[in-house]
Amino acid sequence: MSGLLEIKGLTTTVSGYTILNNLDFDIAENELRVLLGPNGAGKTTLIAMITGQYKPTSGKIYFAGQNITGLPPDKIFQIGISRKFQVPNMYETLSLFNNVMVSLQGGRRVFTTLFRKLSGEEADRIWEILEFIGLADKADDASDTLSHGERQWLELGMLMAANSKLLLLDEPTTGMTEQDKHKTAELIEKIAMNHTVLLVEHDMHIVRLIARKVTVLHQGHVLAEGPLAEVVENETVRQVYLGKGKFA
Amino acid sequence: MVEATTRLTARLELAKAKGIRRTPLVPLWALVGGAGIVAAIAAYPVYGSNTYVLSLLGKFLCYSIFALSIDLIWGFAGILSLGQAVYFGIGAYFVALSLKINYALDNPTRYGGKFPDFMEWNGLTELPKFMEPLISTPFAIACALIVPTLLALLFGVITFKRRIYGVYCAVITLAESLILQDFIIEYQAYTGGFNGITDYDNYANMYFLWFILGVTVVFFFGVRALTHSRVGVVLKSIRDNDVRAEFIGYNVANYRIFVFCVSAFMAAAAGAMYAAWVGLISFLDTGPVFSIEAVIWTAVGGRGTIIGSFIGAFLIKGAEFFLSGVLAFWWQLVIGGLFIFVVLVMPDGIVGTVANWLRRRPRAT
Repeated sequence: MSGLLEIKGLTTTVSGYTILNNLDFDIAENELRVLLGPNGAGKTTLIAMITGQYKPTSGKIYFAGQNITGLPPDKIFQIGISRKFQVPNMYETLSLFNNVMVSLQGGRRVFTTLFRKLSGEEADRIWEILEFIGLADKADDASDTLSHGERQWLELGMLMAANSKLLLLDEPTTGMTEQDKHKTAELIEKIAMNHTVLLVEHDMHIVRLIARKVTVLHQGHVLAEGPLAEVVENETVRQVYLGKGKFA
Repeated sequence: MVEATTRLTARLELAKAKGIRRTPLVPLWALVGGAGIVAAIAAYPVYGSNTYVLSLLGKFLCYSIFALSIDLIWGFAGILSLGQAVYFGIGAYFVALSLKINYALDNPTRYGGKFPDFMEWNGLTELPKFMEPLISTPFAIACALIVPTLLALLFGVITFKRRIYGVYCAVITLAESLILQDFIIEYQAYTGGFNGITDYDNYANMYFLWFILGVTVVFFFGVRALTHSRVGVVLKSIRDNDVRAEFIGYNVANYRIFVFCVSAFMAAAAGAMYAAWVGLISFLDTGPVFSIEAVIWTAVGGRGTIIGSFIGAFLIKGAEFFLSGVLAFWWQLVIGGLFIFVVLVMPDGIVGTVANWLRRRPRAT
């Protein structure tokens, strides 16, 4: 097995439309991979397939050598994949502290959770994460009081707490100011030091900042893959995605 | 700059200490106040002689537990049940049947039959074999608690596991309640049908009031502990955002089933005690109207506040008993209007509104 995540011949058809078309894709352990592609290329669908939100029409998904195709989302999380949604998703009425606590790695069964107390190490870990994402000051606030950017960071913090092997980040900088985007890029780089990360990102400035290897999706299959510098020189990529010298 | 950083660090340390220190299960002032109220209720049979008020106290405590069972699933897990009375009713019927059968053994019917009179009216000539075990009170109590809990488990498996929740779930619980009502009316030889079960020895006395009060206190602390536990936080997170919870590894259906069963158990206990206290049970006690009433108590008291269920049940039921004589015809209208008012004007209920007000006040000054 070469990669941590391996996708073979993945096809998804929804009411006659082929969204992913015989897609082959893999990520090695500890890689930071950026996924690019125009709207409708299938980026979010790919993440939905990997995390078990939808079942593929055909094809197989392997994680660390294990076939995870068609497993339910909670099982896939437990095997080691977590996901950040495009629109920030958190628990609105819970405090930031509890948002992170619920996400901490560890048993997920009802009766193990019932009798599990928050240990000192776990509390330390929560504070460490809250400080890391710069929201420790608001630990007691309900998370619906956060700004859009802060919500994105909180969700990143929740994924850090979960400490999954593979993190799928779907456009974590959407709707952020330039300054916030840079902070997010820094967070992602730090996370990528000890996790495997697949990042969907539209903002080419951010991509330039952090990307090492990129994959470009187009109409449900891989159009190009390789180091950023090579891929942006690719004529087809420029046509379908970067377009009209915008990136030059 | 350095000063600001130090201040921030100090603030962090403070917040950290606050976060690690366990918040008390119930704050001291509430504990003292609650103990006072419990003592006042417990002492009523000693200093009060009004048996009507005594009978209301026992009833209201059962109603409160019932409302609490709704608060647990609705307020803390986001499951709206419009058929919670199914569990209350089944608990109540088991106990009422057992009491009735035992009563008939000592008090034969007009024609000398040693089995419940309503069975005789419906053409039975003896107690049906399958009902004989109910002569044993412990068995009946066990059934009253276990059968509703298992039914809730079954309900949870066929709905939550299939990802049915929200409005659809509420409609299914409503249907469940209607089915049970039809069943009770249809099999009147075994259930008393429209007339319900009445004329048996009930236990509206001081000791049983203390028992009900004790159970109420245990459930109060139980729910408080559950909702403050880690499972409680997970339940709230599922209530807030079930998709996020699922993708962070929680089997959402299992958590919903768990809390639904706990809630059904509480409702069943309330029903069982209610039947023994009141001495009259009918199909209305299993019906959607009763369920929806309890949902209104919870909403008025304050959803997700625990104590709100008690305040809602006591206030509304209390007002009903004292005002429905005067307002008779208008009473249902008043209740309906109150519900609309609460939903529109104070969605957090009485307790939630007061808590919000207290929380905001210091900041304003």
